[in-house]
Parts: sequence; C-alpha cells; structure tokens
Amino acid sequence: MSRLDRLARAAVRPTGVALALAAPVWLWLVARAPLDSVQGVVQKIVYVHPPCAFAAYLGFACTALGGALYLWRRDEAWDRFAASSAEVGVLFCALVIATGPLWARGTWGRWWSWDLRLTLTLLLFLVFLSYLLLRSFTEGSERTARFAAVYGIAGLALVPLNYFAIELAGGRSIHPENLQRGSLGAGMRAPFWTGVLVALVAFAHLLARRVELAWLRDRAERRARETEAEPWAT
Amino acid sequence: MRVLLAVLWKDLLVEWRSRDRVAAMTVFALLVVVIFQFAAPPGASPETRTHLPGLLWLAWVFSAILGLNRAFALELENDAWAGLALAPADRGWIYLGKAVAGLALLLAVQLVSAGAFVLGFDVPLGAAAPRLAAVAVLGAFGLTAIGTLLAAVAARTRYREVMLPLLLLPLLVPVILGAVRATAAVLAQQPLPWPPLRLLIVTDAVFLIVSVLCFEYVLDE
Repeated sequence: MSRLDRLARAAVRPTGVALALAAPVWLWLVARAPLDSVQGVVQKIVYVHPPCAFAAYLGFACTALGGALYLWRRDEAWDRFAASSAEVGVLFCALVIATGPLWARGTWGRWWSWDLRLTLTLLLFLVFLSYLLLRSFTEGSERTARFAAVYGIAGLALVPLNYFAIELAGGRSIHPENLQRGSLGAGMRAPFWTGVLVALVAFAHLLARRVELAWLRDRAERRARETEAEPWAT
Repeated sequence: MRVLLAVLWKDLLVEWRSRDRVAAMTVFALLVVVIFQFAAPPGASPETRTHLPGLLWLAWVFSAILGLNRAFALELENDAWAGLALAPADRGWIYLGKAVAGLALLLAVQLVSAGAFVLGFDVPLGAAAPRLAAVAVLGAFGLTAIGTLLAAVAARTRYREVMLPLLLLPLLVPVILGAVRATAAVLAQQPLPWPPLRLLIVTDAVFLIVSVLCFEYVLDE
C-alpha cells in the first residue's frame, strides 16, 4: 500500500463528515438567499453550476497530473488516482452540462449556445468520456495505465489549442463571467462560496472513496491470481 | 534518422506492392463527397457552396482514419511489433517514420480527391491551387501527427477500428477548424488568412512534440 492509497483511505471519513456538516448549511443558505430581481428562482443555479465546474476542471487536471506522474514513477497508485479523478471529473462535468441548460433556457431563452466556454467544456467532457472508454477497452492493467496516461496528457494539452480555435470561430461569449468582481449581489456571496466549498469537499470525498475502491479491487485481483497460481496455499 | 528512413521505406514499399490502403482511402473519400451530394439541398445554391470546405475536410478526416486504422495492422499480424519495440533506436524515430509514411499516403489521397472535387463541384481554383495545397499539407500534418500516436494506442485495444475515431475526433477540433477556415478563404479566391494558419502551425507543432515524447510509452514492450 503506497502513501497515496493510505492518504486516500485516511481522507474518506473526515471528508465525509465535513460534507455531511457543510451540505445542510449550504442548502439553508441557498434557501435563504435573496431572489434575483430579474431572473427569479432560476438564478439559484449559480450555487450549483459553477462549483461543479470547478470540481470538474480539478478532476481533469488531476487526471493529467496522475498520468504524468505514473509515466515518471511507474507507481500503480498514481494510475488509480488518475482513473478515479477522471471518473469523478466526468460526473461533475455531467452535472455542469445538465444544470447549465436549465438556467440558459430561463435566461437566454434557449437550451444551448455554441459559446466559447460551453463548447470548451463539452469538448473536455467528450475527451474524458473517450478516456474512460479507452480504459475499459484496453487489456492488461499496466498497458491500460500507460495508454490512459498518454491520452490524458494529450487531452489536457488540447485545452489551450481549443481555446484559440473557438475564439477564432467567432465564439461570442454570452456566458456570464464566473469570477467577475461584484457580479454576485448582496447576500449571494456566502451561499456561493459555501457551494464551492461543498463541491470541492464532495469531490475530495468521492475521489478518496474511488481511490480506495480501486486499491481494494486491485488487491482482490492480485489475491485471486495468487490463489490460482498456488491452490494448495489456501 | 536512419531508423526513420528504414521504417518509412518499409511502409511505402509494402504499400506500393499492395496499394490497398491508398485505394481504399481514395475510394472512401470520393464516396463521402458523392454521398454528401445527396445529403445537401439540391442545386449549387450559395448555401451549399459554403459547406464545401467542411465537406472536403470531413472526407479527408474519415479517409485518414480508415488509413490510420491499417497503419499498425501489419505490425500486429506477424508480431513485427516486438521487432519494432526491440529496435536499438530512439522510439521517436520509429514514430516519425510511421507518421511520414502515413502523411505521404494521405497527401496522395488528397491530391486525387481534390482533383475530383474541383471537377465535380465546378470550383474555379486556378491560381489558388498552391494555396489550397499548402493548407492541405498543414492540415494533413496535424491529422497524421496525433493520428499515428493514437493509431498505435487503438491497435492494442479490443475494438480497434471503433476506438481510433473515438480517441481521435475530439482532439482534432483545432486542426479541422483551422483547415476549414483557411480552405474557405482559398476557395473564395482570397489571400490566405493568418489566424487559422497560425492555429494550424501551432497545433501541428504541439501534436508533433506530444506524439514524439509519448510514443515511447505506447510502443513499450
């Protein structure tokens, strides 16, 4: 058991407790937050959608980082970390892509726009879906780890290129600036930043659980192989 | 460098003796163009004209995928893969040999299908031909640079032919976008616009560097 696995196992419980404590506070703050005078109740998506987006981007960055560290150190723990962050990142990204249109329909009047940020997020989502497909279609854990690492790095290297590509395509941005100063009205800041905190804690918790699961699965497989090789040992 | 030339020579020789990859790719590119003719609204209205550059590049991308799927098939058949992996050389050179061979095939296909395209859609090309060729080369470069790396990955997975487009297409956005923009300008008899060209050149460079560095981990064994 490497240090990373031990860290993940140790983090499962504290992050779970933190999530259980922070989530009700966040819900209460969101319920109490003032209604937007123009957009109405649909504006409350801002307490869910951007926090999930932060968690999704963090997940994809962790995937590339884990992949690069795996190629460098050849430690299986980094591969488990990369695979787990990709899965959790895809989950959060799916939430982002699902909640965005709900708000857009109410505010822009249509579900989707080929806006710079929307398109980039969708492309990242597709790249990491392909990443998960690649993992499940490759045989042999060592080969899977290598291939996935290469693809994860290539996927992240694509982000700046796509950024310029879509800008070139004249992707006029109608998406609100997330971190623009003062874009959140009075009384909206506390629920927003609590939402970010909840999303990041939820991300950490799911990631820790997923890493632990991957480690348990690998151990079970290794033991099954060992008993197969020496049936008299049991 | 000698490794590059050896791999390139081997691939081109094998292709010259059978000619099946180039033939399949060319016929496929032509078929896509013809099929699109039925999918597009009838008559050469200005609207269908604006779709021509995109159509041309989609045909090239699909036929490139077809060819790339075969790029490592021969290597797998007789365990020649192990021979490549054991070659006492930097694997970046092996990659470059494979990629240059793939690029040569794709350029041949592009030449033939672009000719048919110009005749079939009555595109007044004339003096714009060298510019179109430059855009085609830049686009094909990026396509084969990342495509060869991913073809080597896809060749070792379970659903080879399915896996390659799934891996490749989401990464191709900057190449397709830059190439289609530049081609549209060329077909409209305008000078080459710099922004899409710059995008193509930067993307080509990034894909080439990533692929040369990563190929070692793909061929490994």
